[in-house]
Amino acid sequence: MLTAVKHPEVLAPAGTPEKLKVAIDYGADAVYIGGDAYGLRSRAGNFSFAEMKSGADYAHQHGAKVYVAANIVAHEQNLAGAGSFYRQVRDAGIDAVIVSDPSLIETAITEAPGLKVHLSTQASATNYETLNFWQNEGLERVVLAREVGIAEIKEMRQHTDVQIEAFVHGAMCIGYSGRCVLSNHLSLRDANRGGCAQNCRWKYDLFDLPDLGQKRELVGHGPDGKAEKFSMSAVDMSMIEHIPDLVEAGVDSLKIEGRMKTVHYVSTVANVYSTAVRKYCADPANYQLDPAWVDELWKVAQRELSTGFYYGTPNEEFQLFGQRRRLPHYAFVGEVLAYDAATRQVTVQQRNNFGIGDQIEFYGPNFSHHTQAVTDLFDEDDQAIDRAPHAMQVVHFTCAQPVQPGDFVRAQARH
Amino acid sequence: MSELVTTVSSYQQAAAVIAAGADRLYLGEDEFGLRLPHSFAREELAAIVTLAHQEQKKVTVAANAIFHNDRIAKIDEYFRFLAAIGVDEVSIGDPGAINVLRRAQLNLPYLYDAADLVTSSRQINFWGKHGAHAAVLAHEVPYQEMMPLSQKVTIPVEVTVYGAIVIHQSGRPLLDNYSNFVQEHLDRTDRQRGLFIATPHHDETHYSIYEDRNGTHIFANNDLDLLPDLPKLWDLGLRRWKLDGLFADEATFPQVVAAFAQARALLAAGTATAADLAVLDQTVQQLQPAGRGLDNGFFDLDPDEVK
Repeated sequence: MLTAVKHPEVLAPAGTPEKLKVAIDYGADAVYIGGDAYGLRSRAGNFSFAEMKSGADYAHQHGAKVYVAANIVAHEQNLAGAGSFYRQVRDAGIDAVIVSDPSLIETAITEAPGLKVHLSTQASATNYETLNFWQNEGLERVVLAREVGIAEIKEMRQHTDVQIEAFVHGAMCIGYSGRCVLSNHLSLRDANRGGCAQNCRWKYDLFDLPDLGQKRELVGHGPDGKAEKFSMSAVDMSMIEHIPDLVEAGVDSLKIEGRMKTVHYVSTVANVYSTAVRKYCADPANYQLDPAWVDELWKVAQRELSTGFYYGTPNEEFQLFGQRRRLPHYAFVGEVLAYDAATRQVTVQQRNNFGIGDQIEFYGPNFSHHTQAVTDLFDEDDQAIDRAPHAMQVVHFTCAQPVQPGDFVRAQARH
Repeated sequence: MSELVTTVSSYQQAAAVIAAGADRLYLGEDEFGLRLPHSFAREELAAIVTLAHQEQKKVTVAANAIFHNDRIAKIDEYFRFLAAIGVDEVSIGDPGAINVLRRAQLNLPYLYDAADLVTSSRQINFWGKHGAHAAVLAHEVPYQEMMPLSQKVTIPVEVTVYGAIVIHQSGRPLLDNYSNFVQEHLDRTDRQRGLFIATPHHDETHYSIYEDRNGTHIFANNDLDLLPDLPKLWDLGLRRWKLDGLFADEATFPQVVAAFAQARALLAAGTATAADLAVLDQTVQQLQPAGRGLDNGFFDLDPDEVK
């Protein structure tokens, strides 16, 4: 009979200091962020060293960790200053850096002693010998390539004791991470230095040249009869239905993709995965997937979801072809500031326009939920209003069930 | 010291490229090596090693695949076979294979080749400290970056000077997946099928694409031709040059090798002129297969142009 098992870490993305706090409040055991240099998300809200320090302090106060992604593949002109960068990261109290370029790994280890290093998925580690190579170099953890399956992880676990981190949710590269320079060649943007133009999601003409260079288009047609161009776009990953497999395979850290994603996404996904992992590890024998978790993830989904390579090589259903299914789309409309149990009034700071008649949903850490319609609405001067149209506007209205400060409010977007 | 490294697609071609001036042959089998003109059986490989050594030439065998557990478990035995037949070098792109090679303690040097990932002198020197005796420079490193890099490297650097440039490797069968979705099956998706993709609004582009046991591979719009730029590489001391005949015409590829060998001879003699090189380059251009262009890739790019 299964008894309580080791609790793997749920690792959430945090593009900003606000998202860092939200991710931790919503159950993440660790977050990963970017610095001002050496990261692959040049457009994410990256952290200054001061923000790293306050973020690390907040995380440590809550028993969580913070990692800094510094996973570019450096060119000659990127090397100067790397040692100083890693020392400042270490001195900010960051728990580890996530690196892929061997030269930067060496720099971090030799010039910032004490700073733990994790191998980024950009290095596409796909076998146990590779994991052992990097452990011998002094790395604490390896983030696996997304091409690795559950059975392979189990086998790796028998050959290595380095920590294993694996992606469980979010967008995926269609190619081996790091082994794609489509963006460099098609858009003059370096995919391995934070400039990826996502050219894999373009629609391409497929053709051959059968007669001395004469072009012959090979146009296929989808099930709807419409011409369908060639594309390499992957659907997103979701492993919420397979938490036991991941834990039992020996994954130490379950990683959620998305440093560019919203507070709404980060809070929802961290909440779901941390709840599922906690419940499984507490009582594996009686664990059951709660369909509400799956529903919750669909509310923040941007594409259809799949299990990637975990159970075999992805077929055409794991790629975006043809008409996309219309996904439920929810907007993040506010954050709870206060709740008065006597008057049943909730005070909310607005993040997106909402108002009377809207069906809204409160959700908070530990997967608390409450859905209701907005039946009344008042501004800060207690004047009755129909809608809350202003960003950061503070309003209050009747809420039938108690909610907590820090809970979020979402509403289904009107198409 | 300079070295012309060329791919090989058959025993006959091996003899021809040696005659054309190649110093080192590059070949292997696709269970272990990536994007090879031919997947050689072991007895074929051994015969070519014998041939090369008779001619005082060297052989590098490709073991640069991204290995999963199933194949990393086979690499020790493969390395032992390669060492036993006297192979001079293996190319490796997966650090796990380096782990295995170290443990085996064979007389088998390795060349580090991780496609687009080797972009700085410090990384090259990292692999040098880990036993590599040479490393392959990414095609995305422009000449302006090669200049400082060449001053700092501690091991020889191989630069591709001719051939197809890979720009994407996926573990997914992207062509099969598309074919299955549209229910209009492509008869073949291998390299010989000759498939291309064009980018949106640029019908004139032609990126080669094919599938094999290592996944789906996509190549740059034009093949690389650095023959006119060889003096710059020569002056930097980057003199290990690779010619990749993956998409070249099998029969005429040795003539391409010969053109580069003549250019190298002129440079070694100190007599190379731009006019001489232009004539040799004309040969290379004339031998280029129909439908495949040539350019010098990222060589002339200002590094600041790449965002």
